[in-house]
Amino acid sequence: MSDNSDGVGGLTFDKSKRHWPNELNVFAALILIVVIFEILGAVYVGQSLLFDTNDRFDSIFNEARLRIIIIQVAIVGIIAIGVTQVIITAGIDLSSGSVVGATAMIAMSFAQVAMVNGAENPKAIFGPAFLDLPWLVPVIVGLAVGTLAGLVNGLLVAYARIPPFIATLGMMLFARGVAQWWSSGNPISFPTESYAKIGAGMMPVFIFLSLAVIFHLIMNYTVYGKHTYAIGSNEAAARMSGINVPRHLLWVYGIAGMLSGLSAVILTSKNLTAQSGMGLSYELDAIAMAVIGGVSLFGGRGSIIGTVIGALIIGVITSGFTFLKLGAFYQEMALGCIIVGAVALDQWQQQRAARKA
Amino acid sequence: MKKILMAAGLSTLMMGTTAMAQQIGVSVARFDDNGLTVMRNGMTAYDEELADVSLQIEDATDDVAKQLDQINNFIASGVDAIIVNAVDTNATEAMSNAAAAAGVPLVYVNRQPINMDTLPDGQAFVASNEIESGTLKAFEICKNLRAEGKSGGATAYILMGQLSNQAAVQRTKDVDDVIGMDMCNFITIIDRQTAEWSRDKASDLMTNWLSSGEPFDAVFANNDEMAIGAIQAMKSAGISMDEVQVGGVDATSDALLAMQAGDLDVTVFQDLAGQGRGSIDTALALINGEEVDKTVFIPFKLVTPDNVSEFMQ
Repeated sequence: MSDNSDGVGGLTFDKSKRHWPNELNVFAALILIVVIFEILGAVYVGQSLLFDTNDRFDSIFNEARLRIIIIQVAIVGIIAIGVTQVIITAGIDLSSGSVVGATAMIAMSFAQVAMVNGAENPKAIFGPAFLDLPWLVPVIVGLAVGTLAGLVNGLLVAYARIPPFIATLGMMLFARGVAQWWSSGNPISFPTESYAKIGAGMMPVFIFLSLAVIFHLIMNYTVYGKHTYAIGSNEAAARMSGINVPRHLLWVYGIAGMLSGLSAVILTSKNLTAQSGMGLSYELDAIAMAVIGGVSLFGGRGSIIGTVIGALIIGVITSGFTFLKLGAFYQEMALGCIIVGAVALDQWQQQRAARKA
Repeated sequence: MKKILMAAGLSTLMMGTTAMAQQIGVSVARFDDNGLTVMRNGMTAYDEELADVSLQIEDATDDVAKQLDQINNFIASGVDAIIVNAVDTNATEAMSNAAAAAGVPLVYVNRQPINMDTLPDGQAFVASNEIESGTLKAFEICKNLRAEGKSGGATAYILMGQLSNQAAVQRTKDVDDVIGMDMCNFITIIDRQTAEWSRDKASDLMTNWLSSGEPFDAVFANNDEMAIGAIQAMKSAGISMDEVQVGGVDATSDALLAMQAGDLDVTVFQDLAGQGRGSIDTALALINGEEVDKTVFIPFKLVTPDNVSEFMQ
């Protein structure tokens, strides 16, 4: 898709030498995986994964399953949108999951309801003045905490010149510490009704897809997007051509942090609770989505659309395993194989394309 | 790396708490686990009541090797007794040996050590009998299903905790044992999957199950958080909670409120704060050279809508 990846200094990838956009490959993989599950489903459980085989819905599809496939990846998917941008700059963000934990605890403290089942909220963190606040308050707090964490990551990476792996590893530890310290490890529950609506039903999906569209446009049609690809393709060349690389990286990490904060808000709203262990290993799930979606860890290559399809693949696999009633032990083994397989396939295709060129 | 940095940070924080009292070092498997936090808070509260006891609580962050290091550090710094909430109950032999060699009393709390039968003198285990928890819950649900007239046949799902965790394995086995009894063998399990103790994962897993459209009568969850996740998923799918029996374990305050609201049917109260206090009492008794049973049981209690108010704080 991308004219941008061979923008300023983009020497690693020239789209004219490819037959079709990489996203089509990922999409083909998604279809293939669905077909495999449909075949296995027909053989072993006598049902269809995506189609309505026992006539429970008005449409031909099993709507309930279509919904859960995407609901279960929407929250991590929001993080993956930010992580995709970070990885395109040839960086990495290991802190997302912990930032979700810390933001969840802090934001939820401002979303609590005063009365539960007619008694005082047993989990109230602050005094009465901070209960029953409008939903916008915890949302703004959540976005602010996430953005702050992201900006610190950005400062460490761009100005202190600390490698992204180490800088965000530090943030990962720090933020998880904050999450546990905030209420000494105690869960924070019972949000206001208005706050509970943010993550209810299909809202996470709606927010995820809206953000995907917005960031797809930003990455393809704005200077921000072009600079992001340029830095990832060749940072030295990007700097030579006048891009303020540190300032741009600050933006990229700040946005990734903000999206982690947002996903924490949605996660706590969906589950009506905040717990210090929340978001554990979300960073890896988000990176997996991006990588399956064709984002190169070496930078300069990948797209938001690819990551969204990557997220859908993980969603289909998760639902597919449950659909087949596959034993819990085998699920993670299979997922590990699929992630490595996806990248191996992508590598092989790239090398073939390079040889043809 | 992660673990080392955390340990360094924690031990600096703990520095200030030392005094001239009986020093007890505590290593807890995880600080971010809800149940273990109740236990830890029970210890801290009891510590404040006892003037001549000083606790030093450390987070093993679910790391077996780190926990053993913490115990050796406690021994090196000359504590009077050690309380361990084991990360991995298979790794307790080395801990027992280290403490016995140094002559420091050791109390295991909450999680049963593998070397229970060969526990050296001056060591004990304080916990609730894990088998009670899953059994009490499963049997109550079985009785409720019979009372609803479903003894001709009922189906259920099991939500399991982390598969590596002894409590998850045991509580799942308890359900299997109960439905293996003549009185409860009308229950068939449709599927069992792990939701890793998490509310979010349980809600997604339950929604996945619901998407198959298979009818069911009960959900057995290894803990309350997963039971609540399943309840949230079923409610948003429009299922009436009167028609499904849902059982958890832990009696967390979220769960008690869910029970009050008529959503959760059964949970089991593990007196975790009581275990925390009991472990300190046992440690003090061992320090004073008193005779102590190898196993000190703090009983589980069944919580149903009839007695839920007793457990609300």
